[in-house]
This record gives sequence, structure tokens and C-alpha cells, in this order.
Amino acid sequence: MLHPIQSTVMSRDGSVVFCIIKNMIQVFQWDSTKSEFLAIGQWHDDQDKTSTIQKTVLEEQKRQRAENEAKRRKLDKEEAVPAETDKSSSKLKDAKVPIPGTGAPPVYNHIRNLALSRNENLLFACADSDKALVIFELDYKKENCLVLKKRQPLPKRPNALTSTTDDKHVLVADKFGDVYAVDAHSSEVVNATNGGLEPILGHVSLLTAVAIISDADGKQLLVTADRDEHIRITHYPQTYIVDKWLFGSKQFISTLCVPEWGTNLLFSAGGDTFVSAWNWQTGELIDKLDIGELVEPYLGEAQLAPSKFQDESNSVVEYAVSKLVTFSTLTFVAFFVEQTKALFICKVDPLVGNLTLVQTIEMSLNIVSLSSALSADTLMVTLDHSEAEDGQLVSYVTWDGSEFSVDGKRNISFHNYIIDNLVDNPIANTEADDIYPLYNVGSLRKRAEN
Amino acid sequence: MKAGMSLDDPSSKRQAYRLKKQENREELKHVRIDPTATSEKVDLPRKRFYRQRAHSNPFSDHQLEYPVSPDDMDWQKLYPHFFDVGTNRMSKQVTIADIGCGFGGLLIDLSPEFPENLILGMEIRVQVTNYVEDRIIALRSNNAAINGYQNINVLRGNSMKFLPNFFHKAQLEKMFFCFPDPHFKQRKHKARIITNTLLSEYAYVLKEGGVVYTITDVLDLHEWMVKHLEEHPLFDRLSKDWEQSDKCVQIMTHATEEGKKVERKKGDKYVACFVRLPNPPIV
Repeated sequence: MLHPIQSTVMSRDGSVVFCIIKNMIQVFQWDSTKSEFLAIGQWHDDQDKTSTIQKTVLEEQKRQRAENEAKRRKLDKEEAVPAETDKSSSKLKDAKVPIPGTGAPPVYNHIRNLALSRNENLLFACADSDKALVIFELDYKKENCLVLKKRQPLPKRPNALTSTTDDKHVLVADKFGDVYAVDAHSSEVVNATNGGLEPILGHVSLLTAVAIISDADGKQLLVTADRDEHIRITHYPQTYIVDKWLFGSKQFISTLCVPEWGTNLLFSAGGDTFVSAWNWQTGELIDKLDIGELVEPYLGEAQLAPSKFQDESNSVVEYAVSKLVTFSTLTFVAFFVEQTKALFICKVDPLVGNLTLVQTIEMSLNIVSLSSALSADTLMVTLDHSEAEDGQLVSYVTWDGSEFSVDGKRNISFHNYIIDNLVDNPIANTEADDIYPLYNVGSLRKRAEN
Repeated sequence: MKAGMSLDDPSSKRQAYRLKKQENREELKHVRIDPTATSEKVDLPRKRFYRQRAHSNPFSDHQLEYPVSPDDMDWQKLYPHFFDVGTNRMSKQVTIADIGCGFGGLLIDLSPEFPENLILGMEIRVQVTNYVEDRIIALRSNNAAINGYQNINVLRGNSMKFLPNFFHKAQLEKMFFCFPDPHFKQRKHKARIITNTLLSEYAYVLKEGGVVYTITDVLDLHEWMVKHLEEHPLFDRLSKDWEQSDKCVQIMTHATEEGKKVERKKGDKYVACFVRLPNPPIV
């Protein structure tokens, strides 16, 4: 069977869609006049992890040896003990690279996140295998539009990314809480470990989302969200000046959404039972859309808390908003709750910022990801068809001027083309028990120790 | 586990002591002490019953209590004497913070020196926080006639994660980092309390002209802290002359438990103080 599509990114006009399937990026173009899709690019992450691990292990060994040597010298000097001859160092062997045992959990080389530069000339990807930011130039004249420009390894696993308003830098937020600025245009790779890359800001918490906003004077601010309920706003490039925190979230944040319409508005969601609308200029929490009642009919066993945190009547339910998106001019936001079938669409008053649910679209299968073609007023969800043979892969949802509806024709066209195109692709096809973990948001919930 | 170490053993002396103190704490923690009531002298807590290993992982999800925002913080509970019943508000706000206050020696010596300032200690270790709470309860009771020690208190918290939940922008005048965990291993350096990224958060809660005080007996850590503070655009090092004339430096050097321990062992103490500079124009 074809592996479910973990995530997508669409160009603003919706004509190009970038899909993540396992550790592979597939690019398709939509020809609206012919109502046809065409495969225009692909790349898969073939980075051999053992070589990078070996490199780190050896570097660490070298560092430790140097440190021990320095210490020994210092001691020798102080106590005037005659220095041992180098017989011990000649015996030293290279450190072994650890090999996972048979019981070790499987390793997934996710491509965790994709983002387009603002001018849509570059594509950025977070690769898990060597914890790298991968930058592609998009050249649609070539047979494969993805031209690898640079692969920049980072000290810790990158998780979320965006680019500055001038597209000069990619800002990558990692699972250790740090944000790095990587030059988007130079193809030079800097050494990630030896001080070549310094974080421009840091939380002491896993970072889940990052966004850039501009104030009335065009000055940039960087918004970072973490697992400890914090949304922080920092000046950019002067990231040592914190502007403020947006307070009011009670649970982890998983997604941020900054609309181009509506001055100073920002939306966030995550483990809370509500979606928040903020005025980032004043720091005010403008509106909280309670989603408890909306999602209730769509919750199932997947939303029951793990047995360790469950009560006697097995009634502890936990759910999280996975993704929140909007459009460039249409004043709506759409979101879904992880491992459910419902896509919720809210209207927003752009002057006040309050959210009103206007539509709920139920899909045939659980939603895996959600993306938006900003200026085409089109949404795309990918679906978990692993439990339904020949199940639907994706669903396009478009605005017809008065409401949103599923674009059945495009869905069928996409489905048939993808199945045909990827039928012989060894990476895209998989056994049911070999599927990558598709639901990674719920596990962000904090389980306090003591 | 050594004999007598078990926390669940109801016959253990330590367990009994802790339980008794806990009851006492719950009763007295937030009450406004009546200075006219003549009560018996409260014993100071004994440190040996509050031992806990010296390290705590700042990255783990502890069961912490912290306000959703600084506006939601109920300071009345910590400083009942400074709550104005007439206006229903606090008459003062916290302006001095001791980050990682340990057993609270600095708080207690700062208290009479800064009677008009509220001073807060933050400590991540539960038992150590309990000790400081019990110590403050005892000191407040025993000095009720002069309203002593009403301006200090302690919170169990992770200031590396949640400092901005407690303090508004530019609220603090002084921040103390006394004998912090050195985290010697290179890979644990992010767990250090002074890092270039955390300094931006400290700069946020400090007002212009506010001071960061650091002291340690570990030369390597001292050099690390100085390096990062010097590199940070919002901090500038204060001179040796300034240090010598500042009473807080004197107190910090001699008051804290760690400071006394280092003195007993005739170890070195390294001090560095930095002033919070104004923000440069935003570009």
C-alpha cells in the first residue's frame, strides 16, 4: 500500500504541492485547465546516519582526550611530577559507535517539516536523520524541480522553521529550545558543533512553532512557541531584546498562525480546550474559542488518556489541536484535532479578532495534516488511509464565494495520479506495520514527575 | 538505600519531623502574624532533616505551581504584611530575586538591609524550599514585635522556564546568582543558569540600571558567566571599586551557606556584577 502523506505545503496559488512521504519529498503540479496533476520533482533523504554518528563520537573522543591531556599537563606542572611517556596514548583506540540492539525502537528518518520562502524560490526542510536543515532551489525548468543547495546539520533536532521577510535567513527552532538563523542563499555549510552556529534565542523547553511578524514600521519580530505554554515575542534581528510573552495558554502550544489580514492578530492552539486569538501588539488575549463541544462528537478511543494517567471509569479524555491555518485575504481560519476526522472552519472579524465557527467538514478518514494555498482560498488535508484499503489519500477543500466545499474532482484526479505515479516507488510503498508515526502532537502533553 | 533514608518509613525520625513541620507550615505559611500576641518561641528548622541531593534537572517536567501570568500571581500569600486591606492590593512588589536561593542565608541577611523592598528566593529543590519556608515562619514569629522578615519569602520553581510568569517587564532591581550548580560536563552547559539565551530573559525582567550579581567558587564557571554576560549587549560589568563599595556584594560573599562553606574550606570566591543597560534603538 502507499504510505500516508505525512504533511504538505502548497504554493500560494495552489498550483504546486510538496508532499512528505516517509523520508521523501514529492512535488506535484496542478494544471487547472486540464484538471490534471503532474509529477515535477522528488528527493529522498539517503543520508547514512552511522557516518554522522561516527563523526560526532570521534569528535567527542578527541575533545575529551585533549581535555584530559590539558588537565594532566597542568597537574604535572603544578606538582612537578615527571611526565609519563606517551606510551598510554599510543594504545588508545577509536571509540566504538554504538549499534542499537534487537529490542531497540525503530528509527524513523522523518522529514519533519517543510516551508517555502516568501518569494517561493526556495524550499526548506527539517530532516531528522542528521538533524539538518535542507535547502532546495526550485527550478521548474528542470525535470526535477528540487535542486539541493545546502544541507546544514544542526546541534539538535530541528522541529519548526520560517524565513525572514527578506528571505535572507531561515530561522530554525529545535527540540532543545534554541533557534538558529541559517543563511538561505550561501551554499557554505558551517560547523554545527564547534561554535560555528550560535543560537539567536532560546527557551528551556521544546519549541513547537515559529513565525515572523512585522510591525507598522516594517520591523520584524520573531514569535516562538513551546511545550511550556509560552508564546514569546522577540525583536529580530536584535533577538537579545524580548518584547513580551503572550500569557493565557494552559497547555502546550502546537501551532501558530499569523494572518496577513487583520492588524496585530495572531492565533494559537495546542493541548488547550480552546483556540486563542491574540493581539500581539498589546499582548491581549482577545478571544478563546471553546472547542470542547465542537470536537466531542468526533472523539474516540484515540483520545483516551494512556492507562497510566487514566482514572477508574476510563473517562479521562485528552485531545490537541494539531494545526491552524488561514488565507491571505479571506478572513477565516481552519484547524483540526489530532486523530479525528473533522475539519473546523471559523470566521474571524478582522477588526475585533473574535472567532466564530461557521463550518465543520467531516472527512472519510482521520486527518493527518492540513495546509493552505494562501491566495487560492484552498485547503488541503491528507488522510490516514492505512486502515482503509483504497481509502482516500487527500482532500481539497475550496471556497466558492459563500462557503467551503470538498473539491471531489480534484481529489479523484490527485488520488489516481499519485497511485499511478508512485506504484513502483519502493520508498512510497509500505506494509501496514511499517508506517511512520503520524500523530506526534498529543505526546507533547506534560506528565509531571515531582 | 541506607538505613533511615526511607521516606515512606513511618517510624523514621526524619519522616516524623517532616510531617510535623508540614502541618505547621500549612497552618502558618500565609497568615499575617499578630505582633501583639505573645506566643512561644518557634524553633528554627534543623537542616539535617531537609537533606536532598544537590542537583535537579531543570529540563524535566516537575509538578510546579506557577501563575499563568504575572498579573495572576497572588503575592498576598507570600507577603501578607504588605497587603493593603483598604485598596485590596499589594503596597509593594518584588524587586529583588535570589535565583537558586538554596537554604536562604542571603534572603535572611538582605531582609533588614532592604526593609522597603520585597525579596523573593526561588529554589527548585522541594525539601530545600521547605526548609527556607520553615526558617522564615520561625523568624517571622520570633521577630513579630518588630515585624521582622516580612519582606522575604521563597517559592519552589524553575526560574529557567517560568521566570516571566512571575515578573513583569523591568520589575526587578537586583538578581542574585549565588554558587549555582556548575554543571561541569560540556554537554550539560545548557543546564547552567547563565547562558546567552537565558540572559535575554533576565534582561527582560530587570529594569535599566538593575544589577545581576554572580558569585561562585568554581573558576571555570566564573569565567563562563563573565564571558556570557560580557558578550550580551544588554549587560556591562561593574568595576572592582563598585563591588567593594556595594553592601550586597559584602553580604553575598559572607552570608550564604555555600559562601560560609567555602570560607571554612579556605576556597576562593569569584564575584562579578553586571548592570542592565538601556535597550538600543530597535532596527
